[in-house]
Amino acid sequence: MITVALIGNPNVGKTELFNRLTGLKQHVGNWPGVTVEKKTGKCTYKGEELEIVDLPGTYSLTTHAIDELIARDYIVKEKPDVVVDIVDGTNLERNLYLTLLLLELEANVLVALNQWDMVKERGIDIEVDKLSEFLGVPIVTTVAPTGDGIEKLKEVVVKAAKGKEKRRKVVLGYGDDIEALIKKVENEISKDMNLSSTYPSRWLAIKVLEKDDEVLKMIEDSPYKNEIMEMVR
Amino acid sequence: MSAVLGEDPEVILAERRYGAIAKILETAVTKTDEKKWTFTDMLDHVFLHRALGIPIFLALLWAVFQFTFAFSEPFMVMIGIFFGWLGGLAEAGIANPHLASFVAGGLCDGLGSVLVFVPPIFMLFLALAILEDSGYLARAAFVMDRIMYKLGLHGRSFIPMMCGFGCNIPAIMATRSIENEKDRMITILVNPLISCGARLPVYVLISGVIFGSSYLAGTAVFSMYVLGIALAIIMALIFRRTLFRGKPAPFVLELPRYQVPTVKSTLLHMWERGKWFLIRAGTIIFAVVIVIWFLSVHPWAATEGGEIIEASYVAGLGHFIEPIFAPFGWDWIAGVAIIFGFLAKEVVVATYGMLLGTGEEAVGDALVSMGVFTPLTGFAFMAFVLIYIPCVATIGAIWRETNSVKWPLFTMAYLTALAFIVSGLIIGIGHLLGFA
Repeated sequence: MITVALIGNPNVGKTELFNRLTGLKQHVGNWPGVTVEKKTGKCTYKGEELEIVDLPGTYSLTTHAIDELIARDYIVKEKPDVVVDIVDGTNLERNLYLTLLLLELEANVLVALNQWDMVKERGIDIEVDKLSEFLGVPIVTTVAPTGDGIEKLKEVVVKAAKGKEKRRKVVLGYGDDIEALIKKVENEISKDMNLSSTYPSRWLAIKVLEKDDEVLKMIEDSPYKNEIMEMVR
Repeated sequence: MSAVLGEDPEVILAERRYGAIAKILETAVTKTDEKKWTFTDMLDHVFLHRALGIPIFLALLWAVFQFTFAFSEPFMVMIGIFFGWLGGLAEAGIANPHLASFVAGGLCDGLGSVLVFVPPIFMLFLALAILEDSGYLARAAFVMDRIMYKLGLHGRSFIPMMCGFGCNIPAIMATRSIENEKDRMITILVNPLISCGARLPVYVLISGVIFGSSYLAGTAVFSMYVLGIALAIIMALIFRRTLFRGKPAPFVLELPRYQVPTVKSTLLHMWERGKWFLIRAGTIIFAVVIVIWFLSVHPWAATEGGEIIEASYVAGLGHFIEPIFAPFGWDWIAGVAIIFGFLAKEVVVATYGMLLGTGEEAVGDALVSMGVFTPLTGFAFMAFVLIYIPCVATIGAIWRETNSVKWPLFTMAYLTALAFIVSGLIIGIGHLLGFA
């Protein structure tokens, strides 16, 4: 069975897409914050069984709010086969922020470019192939209320789950100055086999620099704790 | 390190990420006619207006209750007549006196008097579904939150509270999206003051009794919702100054886009919320009705099979606590209703249905003819039901979400105290103004 997590900013139509995929009727509301707990449903595509998890809507993956933590913990700890990042095509500037965070987590990300009808209506011209190339992830355009693109989405999800290993890793740089810092911390972290085999070491390094509570707690238990913390002092 | 990342590394890293996004979008996206005034812009100009925003919200809310009242009244009368007829049939047709009493007194008078409120509840949820699906409700929450933020309170409290119009439990769960723990606690603690669907039957019954005409009665129900919102703001201010000092986190709220609600999704929405009322009627309300019915017909010999309520256990209980509520001018049944209403607030209505011994008369008509409430005491009773301890399920939700026993207990204590204070003030001020 393939596990698929749905994630995205609040009110981009995640739950609607979830209902489309699973045939369930979860409460869909026209205000941000309808889903605060994860919900699961199932569907099949050409004999493949998919388990779909609807995560709470979130702008970011910090530890400040409980719903963000729920979403992040799920991706970090449960490691779903595919993470479908649902993106509001009319508001890419803000929505892609979460996409970058997911890429840092080295999740097997796939973007569903939702509200594609509105994108066209507003005269926004998105070169999907180019965007897909830049982000290094497959992109499917969808319209949740009508169900456009849902079959294609399932197909790409199955393909992505199978080709997990041969993914091209795209690194979006923070600029030379910060990259140098990340590299140094990452080197120290990768000495701790226990940590670096469980989590992506680059992600841990970035979170250490951000002083993320949860990650700092993990570092506390590391034998290389002092060396790592020395870097960020 | 501080040379590169500065005081707040999180902000610097976020800026760099946005920089990377901007670079990608520069090449992959072209926008044409960006300055077009969209439909959303136009509507927001009106609905989010600094001066007009709140009056528009109040006017819409008032209209919702007028609509709820006017459209549901004939259906309520029909259901009332149906249960009265059924009760009469049961009394005449069932040989076993215990069973006859249970079906007529417990099911028809008790549960039936709650089911009479299916039409207004569904009408209210229909109206709210339209407001929500259209995208307006999020705006109303934003307008309220703007005031909250100016008062030094958290600016994202009303979104979860607005969804409390249906039920307080999902509203309390929705506070998880509030980042600051203090802000979240305040929002949870004041949430029960926002009226839920279970309180509507009480409002509709009592306001119908004391004001008669649906126009005034609708306004009275509306005033309960507004009173709840006002008290929530006042209590939030008090908690901010005492228990949870500090500055609120600045808030960014993304407003959904306006859309014409589809018939299907609106009806589905109404049904999803309304079905809970039916489920409760068949479970917890049903169970409490059995308990109250049992207590109202026993001891069987003394009450002559439930004919003389004054001799029953429940009357004993009622008269025991009557002195507490006597200053408000309420009878002993009100005390019983309030106590059992802790389990589910609809039970308040069921209690009156069973204990008035109305026979085939509707509960509302019986309350009028027996003169149980004056407009003043009835209004104070509605306020009391609004404020005092929310239902047991809400207390459970507060327990789960705060992860402590302390906060649900505190919520029950402060709400009960507040209920006495506010109802007392209503009675006191009413007397001063010359109402009886």
